[in-house]
Amino acid sequence: MRRSLSAAALALALAVPAAALEAPRKIVDYDIRVSLDPGTKLVEGEETLKWTNPSDVPVGELRFHLYWNAFRNDRSTFLRESGGQLWGGKADTGKGWGYTDVTSMKWEGAELVKGARFESPDDGNPDDRTVLVVPLPRPVAPGETAALAIVWKAKVPRVYARAGYVRDFFFFGQWFPKIGVYEPTGRRRRTDSGWNCHQYHATSEFYADWGDYRVTITLPEKFVVASAGALVAETKASGRKTLTFEQKAIHDFAFSADPRYVVVEDVFDPAKDVPKDEIARASKTLGRSGADLVAGFHKVAIRLYLQPDHRAFDRRHIEAQKWALAWTGLWAFPYPYAQISIVDPPEDGMGAAGMEYQTIYTTFTKTYLSHWPLDRLYVPEMVTIHEFTHGYWYGLLASNEFEESWMDEGINTFTEFVMVDRKYGPFLEVPPGIGFTDEEVNRAEAALTQDHDPILSSAWKYAGEGSYGRNSYPQPCTTIQQIRNLLGEETFWRVFRGYAERWRFDHPTSEDFLDAMRTPGNPYVAALIPKTWYGRGWVDFTILDARTVPDDGFTGFDDAEKPVNFDPDPKGKGKEPPDEKRHKGPWQSLVVVGRDGDIEMPANVVLTFKDGQKVERMWDGVGGWIKYHVTSTSPLVKAEVDPERRAVLDRNPWNNARYTKRYEGPSAAAKGRIYALHLVEILLSTLWGIL
Amino acid sequence: MSAFLSGIGAALRHRRLAAILWLSLLFSALVAWFPIKALVAAFDEGAFRETLVKGWDGWALLSFWESRGVEIRIAAAAVAGALLVFALLQIFLTGGVLRVLVAGRRRPVFRPVVAESAGLFKANLWAAARFTLSSLFWLGLLVVLPCAGLHRLAKDAPPHGTAATLLFWWALLGGLLVLFNTGLRFDLARIALAREDARDARGAYRVARQRISGRRASGIGIILFWLAVFLGVQALFTSAGLRMNPRTNGAVTGLFLFRQIGFFLLAMARVGFFASLLAWEERRRPAHSVIGSASGGTTWNVSDPISARAPASASPETGSSVMTNGSALLSS
Repeated sequence: MRRSLSAAALALALAVPAAALEAPRKIVDYDIRVSLDPGTKLVEGEETLKWTNPSDVPVGELRFHLYWNAFRNDRSTFLRESGGQLWGGKADTGKGWGYTDVTSMKWEGAELVKGARFESPDDGNPDDRTVLVVPLPRPVAPGETAALAIVWKAKVPRVYARAGYVRDFFFFGQWFPKIGVYEPTGRRRRTDSGWNCHQYHATSEFYADWGDYRVTITLPEKFVVASAGALVAETKASGRKTLTFEQKAIHDFAFSADPRYVVVEDVFDPAKDVPKDEIARASKTLGRSGADLVAGFHKVAIRLYLQPDHRAFDRRHIEAQKWALAWTGLWAFPYPYAQISIVDPPEDGMGAAGMEYQTIYTTFTKTYLSHWPLDRLYVPEMVTIHEFTHGYWYGLLASNEFEESWMDEGINTFTEFVMVDRKYGPFLEVPPGIGFTDEEVNRAEAALTQDHDPILSSAWKYAGEGSYGRNSYPQPCTTIQQIRNLLGEETFWRVFRGYAERWRFDHPTSEDFLDAMRTPGNPYVAALIPKTWYGRGWVDFTILDARTVPDDGFTGFDDAEKPVNFDPDPKGKGKEPPDEKRHKGPWQSLVVVGRDGDIEMPANVVLTFKDGQKVERMWDGVGGWIKYHVTSTSPLVKAEVDPERRAVLDRNPWNNARYTKRYEGPSAAAKGRIYALHLVEILLSTLWGIL
Repeated sequence: MSAFLSGIGAALRHRRLAAILWLSLLFSALVAWFPIKALVAAFDEGAFRETLVKGWDGWALLSFWESRGVEIRIAAAAVAGALLVFALLQIFLTGGVLRVLVAGRRRPVFRPVVAESAGLFKANLWAAARFTLSSLFWLGLLVVLPCAGLHRLAKDAPPHGTAATLLFWWALLGGLLVLFNTGLRFDLARIALAREDARDARGAYRVARQRISGRRASGIGIILFWLAVFLGVQALFTSAGLRMNPRTNGAVTGLFLFRQIGFFLLAMARVGFFASLLAWEERRRPAHSVIGSASGGTTWNVSDPISARAPASASPETGSSVMTNGSALLSS
């Protein structure tokens, strides 16, 4: 009785915490021993998995991810969704297939594999082998920990998407039989407990329970191994070596092996590597003392596993990594682990590039980006920052990337562009001074393209890969930027940091993030959320009309039918039209501002007059339009809505201003024409070198 | 005098020829003018007018790019049309330019260039076609095939290893070398046509082969020298033009004029290149057919052709009779 009571209490504690966690709830404990034969690409593995039932109901079956079965044949859901191509990589259908076969799974002496079956909970694909359902001889009681002994064998696929090999480069991601997530009532706002174990999709792969990992890898001695966690033991025998890595409080474990790795080691030292001006900025914005903000910082060992032809990039990746550690530490919370490993895949294995795993990730390097003038394209830095910061938004705030991919990619892309733009300015810049910021690139993709899905959807349920991409990356990050502009810097960042601190080591949902954003009570934010996360709302501000005419006073018949300011004689010449150039004033101006689309938000309207005076009016954005009648001593030359460009979701920013005929400033079109003509001449004149 | 100095001297002397080439560039570019004008008219109508006058605005141009797909495609098609017009114009004009250079005429040049170009256009067009085909053939044989073979051999080698490095440099240098070779022969064929060493492209290519024989490296040296001059001028003016960033309508006009000076200098470099090649070729001609001095202070009568056509009995491949003819013409 006592045991069952304490188990129930444990289950309740594991279910729904009332406040932020100091450490994650440990549900799993993996002890994995794996051996790799690089020649045959075969893997033999054993694992002892201790799984604790976090719910208050008995669990009669277990569910496992066997991700590498996605590469088993062309009938898997992954292959069907991707068509064998992803991120420019193409599946090697000749000899590149891979698989995972569980040969034994024992619990309390009973062999479970015989009764196991494959299921496809997402798409019903009878040929998909990525979810294994294992019925148990008896249910696992609430709070009870089941210790399973699992034996499996696997073949590494040739890499074209995330994991695999090319030559003797190996990347092991989602590589071991991994138990799904049994969600208790209340977890991620569930109303009933149950398994959350999705198939391996072309667009998603992450959601797991927290726990501790001990992984022992045996492979030929020449290999350099990059791994999650810290190396705790190493032995060598008969030309092979065995390495043991350990990491507590994570929910994923990846490693890589390549004999060519050049290892660059560095240390993130908060005393040196957190910029003082960034501390000051964060302190002012967040309303916390600098000492408070840096209190949780500690030294972090950085290990960069570079390809030998990418040596020129070592400082670039390291500096980007240090900046990301500093920024996330200040604006979210300090990185809690002791180390981070950065894997640099070879250029013929780019399918593995740009992937996030906990305490290890893969970055992106191309040698041509080290040469002038392309060395000003900060793409490697951007990818390093992006992938590391995933460690927060899918890692430390362990969202369900299958069902809410924007929570990983969207929030991450938002923080990425804030970091990239602050450190590098225009990150795509050739030649100097001519380039685009990361935020602009994402905004262009989000605001200026149409789509058929809301942000919030399961990753595999979007209209297509393009829609998944748009609604997981640029659209949510630009919408978060819109919320930032609506709330203002201080309010937004305090809410943002509050969300991060509340949900670290936990499993937040979309509504948890959105609730945080609603907290300040901004009605525009409250109205924006359903129209973007749950709908396909849009907005377009425009100046519908802007005109200015001389005000010559009263013209026509007065009350006594006396003509004023005009000649009533039908044969007469009539009144001369006013000479606008000599007119001294006053002037009458009319400006009509419109807002199209279903997203309402306020916008500043600025009227500029020829004498330089400006009139500013804040329009609440309610209704489809607003008219301004202005009498002034100088003619109106320009009307503009949202000149500060705060409406980042504005679908067409080009119609946000209109000039009247009274404007006499220089012509941008003339400048554009001349530059374009010169470009054409440069292009044509290259033919002089040939013909 | 070296071929280089001859070229530099001719580039400075024959400014009118350069002007014709520059005008051909400007004229061709203007083919794309109206679509470009229509495309960028929005710059004055929208929210980014003032920021674009001030300089670069990434968001303005990104959003412009995203929202003006049709206009951009039309402008791109017009630029492609301009490229075609310019290519044809260069094939057309080069014959006349070479004739005038051979004649050493400094003025007037416009009508003679056009008249002589018209006479040589068909042969030059065939020569250009042969240049294109031979370039593709030799690029395929000497660059693409070896690279494909090497790529296959090194399929499982790590990126940027020895094989990959060799492949890259072979593709780059081999490709350039092929183009320099085929280009040199093409230019010499056009010179043969201009000098009337041959009556058609086939014969001209044969004469060109004789000229190149044994002196290929020095011929390519001329190409490299003028290519360096060309790239230097282009880089200088492009860089300076970007830095100017005009902010008034007057300054925009100033930028246009400044940039045209750059293109005019490029045209001078082109004249200089052909003059260098003519001087180089002259030394490769048989001793008994040395061309007469081009500087004789002769006056050009626009009604006269630069060269009487070679008699039918003249052997177009030997060049000697044609040269005699050419010499006579130069002193006429």
